[in-house]
Amino acid sequence: MICLSKHEQGADLLAGYLAKTLDAPRMAELARHIQGCSDCRGLASVWERLDEFAVPEVSPGFDARLYARIAAEDARRPWWYRLVWPPIAPAIAIAVAALILFVQVPAGPDATKQVNKTEIEQVAQAVDDLDLLIPLENR
Amino acid sequence: MLKQPPQPSSDPRVQEDMEAVVALERDAQLMLRVREGDDTSFALLLERHRGPVVHFLYRMVQNQAVSEELAQEVFLRVYRSRETYEPTAKFTTWLFRIATHVALNSIRDRKKEKGHESLDEEMLDGLERQVADRQPSVEQEMVHEVKLREVRQAIEALPAKQRAAVLMHKYEGLDYTQIAGVLSCSESAIKSLLFRAYESLRDRLAHMA
Repeated sequence: MICLSKHEQGADLLAGYLAKTLDAPRMAELARHIQGCSDCRGLASVWERLDEFAVPEVSPGFDARLYARIAAEDARRPWWYRLVWPPIAPAIAIAVAALILFVQVPAGPDATKQVNKTEIEQVAQAVDDLDLLIPLENR
Repeated sequence: MLKQPPQPSSDPRVQEDMEAVVALERDAQLMLRVREGDDTSFALLLERHRGPVVHFLYRMVQNQAVSEELAQEVFLRVYRSRETYEPTAKFTTWLFRIATHVALNSIRDRKKEKGHESLDEEMLDGLERQVADRQPSVEQEMVHEVKLREVRQAIEALPAKQRAAVLMHKYEGLDYTQIAGVLSCSESAIKSLLFRAYESLRDRLAHMA
């Protein structure tokens, strides 16, 4: 016997029965049980009762109101917002990368020279410091 | 030897599932196009989901003006989210998650503001006349309105989460996995939630059987 209220899979069976998605033998078995079980008959009839809850049509101006809200929201956005919006963001990213390369490349050799000069100065300073630390008698 | 191409299934459930898969892909693809700046795709999504979203919200809050206002908020959030949209879940699950969130917030705010005040009777009466588009006798119309009112009250009496689950399950055709995704619960929790909800409805509507 399948009693929806007592069966451990009652919720599954009820939903499957109500939605008519159970296999044919299960549907037939449940239908037979429901005939003689008032609790289950009540559960099954809920589905039909809920069909009474009709809904009104969506108002004709719904889309127009929505698009007006979207337009108003877009209008409030700052001018730079469009620059970071995804459809054109890749182009902006490429342009920025190109600009950085353009600025970096001419500066390259000078920058390398500067780094080398700094390294030499640091080594010379370290040698001077070592000289100060070595006691005079060890010299 | 050429392999026999698969034959279309005659099982309506299989066909429904296949149609659902195609619809899912189409929705996700449309949303990805919206992300790329295609407003026509947004219009198509709106066309496909406007009705289900408004109807779900109407049954949640039981007020046409409020439900349409909330539906506008839902589609506005969809539009705002286009830039970050990733098709990680079914589009419908994502959409109904937004709709449920908006509805639950509205119900909570209304309870706070009005102390669970009953619905505007005048508005309800008007809507009941609006949805009854047949030409029944006065007596039939009265019986229909009484039944409708009882169903609405039974649904309204459900806890908000149970209400959302029943409405998505009964009217919008979402499966357990989708409802679980919308309400951030396990599937087993949703099954139990739905069962309790249907039991409550049975008890409330028993006299109508």
